Order: sequence, then C-alpha cells, then structure tokens
Amino acid sequence: MKKYMLKRLLTGLLSAMAATVIVMLMIFSLLDRTLVFAKDPVFSKQTNNAREVYKYRKWEEFGYLDYVSYADYLNELAKNGEIDQKTQEAASKLGRTAKADSKNVAPYVKQFTEYYESKGYTVERMDAVLQGGRKVASGGTQQLFAHKDKSLLSRVLHYFTGVFQVDNIHSVEEDIGKRGLTFTLHDPVYGGEKFSPAIIGNGTQHKYLLYFNDKFPYIHQNLLTVHLGTSYTVNQGVDVFDTMTQSQGSYVMSPVTFPTGIEEVSADDLHTATYIPGSRENSAINIKCFTDDYTQVNTVKNTMSKVGFSFVLGFLSSVLAYLVGIPAGIAMARRKDKVVDHIGTAYIVFSLAVPSLAYIFMVKAIGGMAGLPTTFDVEHGTWLMYLLPIISLALPAIGNLMKWMRRYMIDQMNSDYVRFARASGLSEREIFRKHIFKNAAIPIVQGLPATILSALVGAIITERVYVVPGAGNLLTTAINMYDNNVIVGLTLFYALLSVVSIILGDLLMSMADPRISFVEKAR
Amino acid sequence: MNETLEKIDDLGFSEEELFAPIDNNSLSSEKITAPRYSYWHSVFRVFFKKKINVIIIAILALVIVFAYIYPMFSGYDRFANLMDSSSKHLSPAAAIEKYGLNMHSILGTGDAGQSTFDAIWHGASISLSLAFICAAINLTIGVVVGALWGFSKKVDAVMISVYNILGNIPYVLLISVLVMIFTASFWSMVFALTVTGWLGIAYFIRTQVVIIRDREYNLASRCLGTSTIRIAMRNILPFMTSVIVTLAATEIPSYISYEVFLSYLGMGLSEMSLGKLIFAAESAMVTPGWGFEFWSPVILASLITVILYVVGQNLGDASDPRTHM
Repeated sequence: MKKYMLKRLLTGLLSAMAATVIVMLMIFSLLDRTLVFAKDPVFSKQTNNAREVYKYRKWEEFGYLDYVSYADYLNELAKNGEIDQKTQEAASKLGRTAKADSKNVAPYVKQFTEYYESKGYTVERMDAVLQGGRKVASGGTQQLFAHKDKSLLSRVLHYFTGVFQVDNIHSVEEDIGKRGLTFTLHDPVYGGEKFSPAIIGNGTQHKYLLYFNDKFPYIHQNLLTVHLGTSYTVNQGVDVFDTMTQSQGSYVMSPVTFPTGIEEVSADDLHTATYIPGSRENSAINIKCFTDDYTQVNTVKNTMSKVGFSFVLGFLSSVLAYLVGIPAGIAMARRKDKVVDHIGTAYIVFSLAVPSLAYIFMVKAIGGMAGLPTTFDVEHGTWLMYLLPIISLALPAIGNLMKWMRRYMIDQMNSDYVRFARASGLSEREIFRKHIFKNAAIPIVQGLPATILSALVGAIITERVYVVPGAGNLLTTAINMYDNNVIVGLTLFYALLSVVSIILGDLLMSMADPRISFVEKAR
Repeated sequence: MNETLEKIDDLGFSEEELFAPIDNNSLSSEKITAPRYSYWHSVFRVFFKKKINVIIIAILALVIVFAYIYPMFSGYDRFANLMDSSSKHLSPAAAIEKYGLNMHSILGTGDAGQSTFDAIWHGASISLSLAFICAAINLTIGVVVGALWGFSKKVDAVMISVYNILGNIPYVLLISVLVMIFTASFWSMVFALTVTGWLGIAYFIRTQVVIIRDREYNLASRCLGTSTIRIAMRNILPFMTSVIVTLAATEIPSYISYEVFLSYLGMGLSEMSLGKLIFAAESAMVTPGWGFEFWSPVILASLITVILYVVGQNLGDASDPRTHM
C-alpha cells in the first residue's frame, strides 16, 4: 500500500510539473510579449532608442530574456579588476555611430560584441537619433546591449531547483565576518531575559532560523522556504507564496526592542529579518536600529492572509454544505417520488443550471434586503459579514451533494443485501442508518480532501462580489497584469493541491471501506 | 371428391357464397410479428407523454424565435441614442412614457439609451450560438475519442497521462491565454472553449465504454465473429444514446454559464453577449431604478439554462429504451 501510494505521489508530482512546463511554454513562447506594455504608462512616454532599451529591460524583469548593457559589462570588468576606473570612464563614452567610436572605446566594444556573440547573445548597436542635424533627440542617445531569449530547458531547471530553498551559512555572498549558527536560550527579540530558545545564523539569508512566539503554531522556522516565483506587477518583489500567506490589513503596533537597544512602538517583526547587502549604511534609520545588515523585516498586521480568508470561507461553506446536503439527499432517497423528492430535484436543477454569477447576486440582493452586510470590511467587520459569502459558496455545493447522495442511496436501496435485511425484520430506520448510508457514503468520503484543499484556492466570483481579500482573484489579476512568474507559481500550487487531494481521497476511501484496496492481494 | 362437390352444388348456394374472398389480414395475424418499432419515434412518444415537456418545448421554441428572429426586425443598434441624454437609464415606466408601450420599451433602457429588451435578445442569440457550436464540437470529438480511448488499452495508457497533465492546467488561464493570443472574437472563444473542453467528455465516455465493453453479450458477439466496428456501432452506441443526450443536457447550459463567468472576469467575448451585458450593467444593480438593466440579462440567462437543462434531462430519460414500455 505504501509503495503504491508513493508511486501515485511520484507520478502525480511529475504530471503537476508537466502542467507547469506547458504553462511556461504557453505564456513565454505563445503569448505576444509586447502585450506587457499595453497598460504601461512609462512605456508610452518613452521615445526612440530609450523605448527599445526600456522594452528589453522590462522583458528581462518579466523573465523573457537575459539582457546585458555595455555599461553593465564595463562595470563587471572594473569589479573583477581587469580595468581601472579611468579606463572604464573612457571606454564608456560610445560614439554616436559605430564608426565614430574613439580608439579608447573601440577595443572594448569589439571585446563586448565578441564575448556575448560567442555565448549566443544578439548584440544590438543603435546609433544616436539626431534632431536638426547635431542635437540628439529626446531618448535618442546611442545604445549598445546584448540580449538572449531564455531557453525553456534552462528556465524549467532553474525554476524547479529553486522551489525549495534551504538556508545555510554560505547563502550570503558578501563578507559578513564569522559565519555560523548560534543557539540561545534567551531570544534577544524579547530583551534577552525571557526564556525562549532560538537559533540565530550569521551568513544565512534569514537571521532567525528557529524561534518561538505567541502565535500558532508557536514554533517557527525559516530554514526551509518555498519559492513559487517572484511577482513583478501584482505584488512587486514578493514571492507568490508569501503574497498568499502573509497577513493583511493595518499595522499592529507593539513595543519592540531593536538590536541596538532602542525601544520603539513599531509593527516590525524582528524574527523575519533577512539580509540585504549594504542596507545598514544606506539608511539613517537602519543605523539607529540595527547592528548588522539583517534589516529587511516583515510587519505584523491584524488580519488573516489571502489564503486564510479563502480557507475560512471555503471550509465553513463546505461544513454547511455537508450538514445540509447529505441529510437532504437521504431524505429525498427515503421519500422517492414524493413531494420532498420533487422539491429537492427542483433545487438541484436550479443550482446546476443557473449561472453561478446569477445566484450569487441573488443572494447578495436578498441578504442586503435582510440587513446583512454585503461587503467585506476587514477593519470594522463582524462575523456577520462572513454569512452571505458562505451561503453563496454553499448553494451549489449543497445541490451537488444532494444529487449524488440521492443517486448513491437509491442505487444501494435496490441491492440484494437490503432486501435480505428487510426480510430479516430490520426496521427501515436501521436499514437506512446502518446499511445503506454506510455504503452510499463511501464515494462522498472520497471527495472530502478535495473539498477542504480546494478551499485554499479561493472562489473567484464570490470573493469579487463580496470584496473578500482572498486568494481566488490572484490568478485572474496576474493574468490581467501579465505577471508571468505569479501565473507559473499559482499553476504549480493548484496542480500540487489537486494531485494531493486525489491521493488523500483514495487513502481515506480505503480507510473508510476496508474492502477497497489499491494493491493486488497475494493469493 | 367429385361427389361431395356435386352435393354442395345441389344445396343451391350462389357462386359468391361458395368462393368467398380470403381475408388476408386474418392470415397474416397467424404469423408471429411485433408492431413496427422505431427507436426515435418511441423516444418522442415517451417524451411528449409528459405534459410539462410540451410546455417547456413551447417556451424553448419561443426563446429561440426571439433570440434568432426578433433581432432581425428590431433594428437594434446599441449606440443609436448615444447623444440623447434623456434616453439613458430609463425605468420601464419612464421608457413607456417616452416611447409609448411597445416591445422596445417594456424593460427600460440602458447606459447608452439602448432598449434593454432588444439588447438581451441580441445577447441571447450570441450566447446560444456559442453554446450550441461549442457543445456540438466538444460532444463529437469527445464521443469519438472517448470510444477509441475505451476500446484500446494502448490509447488508454497514453490518454490517461495526457488527461492528468492537461487537467491540472487552470481552465481560466488556458482560456485567457488563448483569447489574448487570438483576440477576443467569437471564433477564438469557440476555439478556446473546445481546445481542451472535449477531454472531460472523452474521459466520461471512456469510463462508460469500459463498463459496457466486457459485458457478456459483447463477449458472445465477439465469439460469433462480429467486427469491432460493428460491436461499437450496434452493441455499444445504442446503449450510450441516453448517456450522450444527458451529457448534452448538462453541456449546453454550462457553456452559457461559463461565458457569463468569463465575461464577468473581463476575459469574455468582444460582442455584447448575455455575460457581457451582465458585466457591463453590474454597477446598475445597486443603483435604484436601474435594476432592470442588470436583472433582465441575469434572468434571461437563468431561464435559458434551466429550460435547456430540463429539456435535455427529460429527453435523456426518454431516450433510455427501458422507459419505452
């Protein structure tokens, strides 16, 4: 059984990865990449050569290609000590046309061109755009740069090797002093007096690798982090996984003791400190507060994350759906072709056939008339605001559960063992509860993990209509804003959820019904 | 022999009485035959036996007539009254007062002064066409591929992994990328909805075929030397008819729902379909007096989907030969 499940999990992971690769292929190769600029106000203001350069810079940020400008190349040379600053300055003065390069510049241009062409890049030289003979037009300065489209293979390899990242003491490239991990029983964030064990690293990306705080699940780690793809437009610079799981809302202020000893009322969560090279010296505030370059901290906010809101709504609506749908389905089966059955069938037809948008608006209109809050207000809201979204989500789920529960019950009612039980003199109630229900519930049990896990994904329309800050709209927002990394990350996330929920469903089903086995029994 | 004949002659019967014409019907009644059975004839006999079906079919016919024929005569032009600011967002009462009581004014007017009644039927024709075309394409490809998938073990191994991979790609993503590539026209929407839409149907049919494939009567048929194609066409397809009809019943309304959903996300058609009308009038829902602009397309979309669903379900029930007794 274990071996079988492991095999299922592996093939599932492979198919999830294949789906991600197809999505990468679709958005990076099939989609017209100039669409990125359709809603970009900066792009429309650029002219001439500057527009071209801006295009390639953006494409690099969106992950389409690698882009190196001549200036970057010279900087790199200077950093490696191959040229001194004076030579760099002289070499950076490109001529207005390729022929006009001075003798200080020409060898480096040649070197640049040869170096990048040998690596498969396309080198582009743009002559200055002149206005009225001598003056350079706006955005028309001469340009030299190299670019190369990322190949699908390298993109895929790079993506999947970066999904899980284990922090280690060699993560930081810069010189940071003595690298190592220290274990302390008294966490300095709490003033160094209170007993609270923590592991602090130097040379790691995160400062605190393991720590305790007063929030569930009390013990937290930063050793293993998940990276699904860094967002570019939706939530700039932040990983999709963090976008989904970080808390939202307004800041929660509390007294914080910074590493320098300063006490301030702040929303900063010092446990989330990560390394940003040179960040301490660049900012007066950082010098005041921090003793090292671990200065980037997340803030504590007062409400749940996107996934949190989606999950609460999805989970509660599933609970409601099961509590209503299953008894209703059973009642329909017991009174087949009676009034209850007809009313139930009418409801099923309604929930299946009416577009979801229509009944969500109906619920909203009816709920609004009844005085219930129709929009989500995370700051001043009460628990009542959850009611209408939950009902909207539960309505179709109830119809679906009723449909299948009725079907399975009726199928079981005609089987021989039921007739035998009746002949043996069991009461109808007992037959239904102990025999029919147990058998009919098996396929329903299989769908349980999928229902719970899919609550993490969120509901697109319901969240939009009720203005819920949930995860459901993330994919559509990312598509509208051409945030390719977010799209890829979400695809992987959704695919993994569906793979895991199918496997968990089968596992649960075989636990509920011992007759079901996925392995051939040895005879 | 001769003697007896002579005796009969003596009895004085007329010739007519002696040589009575033989009743052909009584002869044929001796043969063992069943009444002529036509499958589709029986399907419709069972279908129309329920009075509710007659009513629903009549409503469906009315909807189709209004959706496809009425826009030809209504002369609907969305921007005809664009410059007339007094014609915008009129409630039915105000519109009737302004234009008099006729079909164009009974549901009021929209944000460009267009008649809501004309707009929803124009939208209904687009939504219905999309649903019928997509369902036709998906069902045809789905049934053919599904049958192959169910019959061949080699095809099964390949298709199951294809299904697992493509099933993991978010449908919204697929459609929006395709719509972005091909612009949001009617036919690119059809392409986007059908490019992987047949896969689910094929999988469903595959499961049904697998269930019936190895039944005893097919085994017996195979032993008697029936070819695979004949088994598929004569033994399995008739069994599947009711399944396919029921499937069509759920598929056609689902495309209308899906089109509404996509339009609401801003990824739908560029034409003013029902979904696009709902999306465009969303702000009118909460504005007092503008409600008709929003609720008219919502209710029409719901009406169409419910009717199509009920007709399909009942036709599916009627196409099961076991109900023909």
